[in-house]
Amino acid sequence: MNFWNFIAQNRNQIDDLTLEHLWVVGVATLLAVAVGIPLGILITRKPRLQKPVIATANIIQTIPSLALFGFLLPAPWIGDRAGRLAILALMLYALLPLIRNTFTGIKGVDRGVIEAARGMGLTDRQLLFQVELPLAASVILAGVRVALVTSIGLATIAAAIGAGGLGELIFRGLAMVNNAVILAGAIPAALMALAADTLLGWLENRLAPQRAT
Amino acid sequence: MIAILRIGFCATDLGRAATPHPGRDPNPEGAPSLSRRSLARQGGVFDLVIILSVILLFTSCTHQPRIVVGCKNFTEQIILGELIAQQIENRTHLAVERRFYLGGTYIAHQSILAGRIDIYPEYTGTALTAVLKQSPASDPKAVYDRVKSEYENHFHLTLGPPLGFNDTFAIEVRGDDARRLHLQTLSQAAAYTPQWRAGFGYEFMERPDGYKGLVAIYGLRFAAPPRIMDLGLLTRALKDRQVDLIAGNMTDGLIPALDLFVLEDDKHYFPPYEAVPVIREQTLAEHPELKEVIDSLAGKISDAEMRQLNYAVDGQKRDVKEVVRNFLISKGLL
Amino acid sequence: MDTPEAIIEFRGVSYRPPNGQTILRNLNLQVQSGEILVLLGRSGSGKTTALKLTNRLLEISTGAIEIEGRPSSQWDVITLRRHIGYAIQEIGLFPHFTVGRNIGVVPAIENWPKDRIQARVAELLNLVGLPSEIASRYPHQLSGGQRQRVGVARALAADPPILLMDEPFGALDPLTRSDLQREFLSLQRKLRKTVVFVTHDLHEALLLGTRIALLEEGSLVAISTAAEFVKSPEPLVVKYMQAFGSAESVRGNQ
Repeated sequence: MNFWNFIAQNRNQIDDLTLEHLWVVGVATLLAVAVGIPLGILITRKPRLQKPVIATANIIQTIPSLALFGFLLPAPWIGDRAGRLAILALMLYALLPLIRNTFTGIKGVDRGVIEAARGMGLTDRQLLFQVELPLAASVILAGVRVALVTSIGLATIAAAIGAGGLGELIFRGLAMVNNAVILAGAIPAALMALAADTLLGWLENRLAPQRAT
Repeated sequence: MIAILRIGFCATDLGRAATPHPGRDPNPEGAPSLSRRSLARQGGVFDLVIILSVILLFTSCTHQPRIVVGCKNFTEQIILGELIAQQIENRTHLAVERRFYLGGTYIAHQSILAGRIDIYPEYTGTALTAVLKQSPASDPKAVYDRVKSEYENHFHLTLGPPLGFNDTFAIEVRGDDARRLHLQTLSQAAAYTPQWRAGFGYEFMERPDGYKGLVAIYGLRFAAPPRIMDLGLLTRALKDRQVDLIAGNMTDGLIPALDLFVLEDDKHYFPPYEAVPVIREQTLAEHPELKEVIDSLAGKISDAEMRQLNYAVDGQKRDVKEVVRNFLISKGLL
Repeated sequence: MDTPEAIIEFRGVSYRPPNGQTILRNLNLQVQSGEILVLLGRSGSGKTTALKLTNRLLEISTGAIEIEGRPSSQWDVITLRRHIGYAIQEIGLFPHFTVGRNIGVVPAIENWPKDRIQARVAELLNLVGLPSEIASRYPHQLSGGQRQRVGVARALAADPPILLMDEPFGALDPLTRSDLQREFLSLQRKLRKTVVFVTHDLHEALLLGTRIALLEEGSLVAISTAAEFVKSPEPLVVKYMQAFGSAESVRGNQ
């Protein structure tokens, strides 16, 4: 079966799976942002936590993705529905770039600016929200970009445990030995990753603070 | 879905607002700050993305009501899936979408729970042990009733009536070995297994109603640990004398064709695996005409008939759609 | 005897960082209202540390610093810092704020009404000799001298009675530095702030300082008016004078 024929005849299915893919990735990334950025901020405030937090996130990342999916299967409530499991696993994977980039972004803010801000009497909260976060925004967003793009790729593997998404087409195409089906899953996923990368990269540039010439 | 997308985007917008800029900008000139300008541009981009996703949503929402028929990724399943699909097409006005070749029992189960598929063929024994994780039992009716009630209570899935055949595990040996040694049952074969090598599939090795229980009940010992391979390769391996005993399926089309012999399960170890359609309660409620379709298939396929259908596709390499169509005609169901 | 009011008083102040050598030893010092007290010394002498102990960017190990009669430890640290203007060598303007918004940082966090902030920014720009249209520009668009003027304006924004300045003109070229020193002096005549000014430059110290406190290895070696300083027989003072050229040429700069 020709690739374009397959697309034309199965547009509904591809749409459904694309939206499913977007949903899983979107929720997972949002959760990772909600957990990872505050954690990154926390370890800039409490240096003793820096090593353990980053080490933990690092270890999670080194677990092969398929293994992590399988490992979480027996968990109560999470393992019952593959969608939940995929979201949790994807979220865990996205934590490291977010924590690390938040940390380096904030640490990378010019020391003179921080000292002046503290000396002027900004509270820690004001320092964080008015100075550190806006100046670190570009680096933090780079972390979001990495998290998002890798999540889109990882979500294709989630289909192996029944979470659906575009990976389902890839696995089915493999079982059917049918390239058109494989591509029908692989190409939209790749396009999605590309779009996310481009969009966020553009945003990063807008947010980067100006440097004196 | 749209609402959720909106909320997601609003959250990111709020995140940006939390890195505060306007409101108390003491800028005396009143010129927009760099950050405000980029905020406006980012807003424009997000509007674009929302519009695109809305368009995407609407293109998929304009399709007519359709039933998604799923099945697993081996021949018998494809035949049953096609059977169900064609019956729905023949007897109702509903459009059917086929999502075949799902990668295994777990994936099929997850798919129907998530609503990605509406209906698929399952086996009562598999449902009992692999999905419900209960211990195997041997009475077909008891197994069917238990699976039916559990599926309804836990998963809101309805079981249709059995299609008529029992695709249980078939412990197969070569025909000439069986004749030479006068073997009929597994108990008899137990005497010879220490001289044999066995071959089994991945699922059989792991399932509670598989390898472990079999060797325990019959006291089987083999010359070496069993070779584990893909289902499709097992029959070939048996024929080529790479192994001497395999666990295949009762309805394997190649059993008569390759002169293989199925040993009788005289101790009734294997639970029944009656094929049944599994359908979402919600789908049945929305399309009650499907009940008639499912009932029309009750008891229509015997063990031998299933074997013939399998052989037509596997052995004779005929097209599944055509094979199913002819079968429906021959049964007067069309 | 009518002693001038001591706005800041160091009493037996010592500072030792957690894993390091003692930086300040038993410092006793008074800063009088309306004067510019220059802390002079070489790198490592403890002058910057003394400054940072005053606004509690560092915490005292032993002793106490009284500010306006109250020990610094009893002040709320945020209130204390907002009560003191702080200008440093790196300046530290927020790159993502306009000049106007930078100057108005403390008024903004003190919740001044918007128009009051605007008026104050305009007033300060005028005071430090910058054109009003600079308010909408960004720090990276300014020259070094302009940036430091903005730094001073920012330190003065909430009209604090005390100013702490840590080598604020150190990163500038000699001509600009000279201009800024003169302008600061005339500003001080108008404003009469209590200023603690850290520098290692003797010329700057003699030009700006009402009194000069010479620090060496964390201890106060000498403290006197500028006029007394050049005549001081203290060996370290003499060493300093020699390092910066002859006594006459130094006196001539005043």
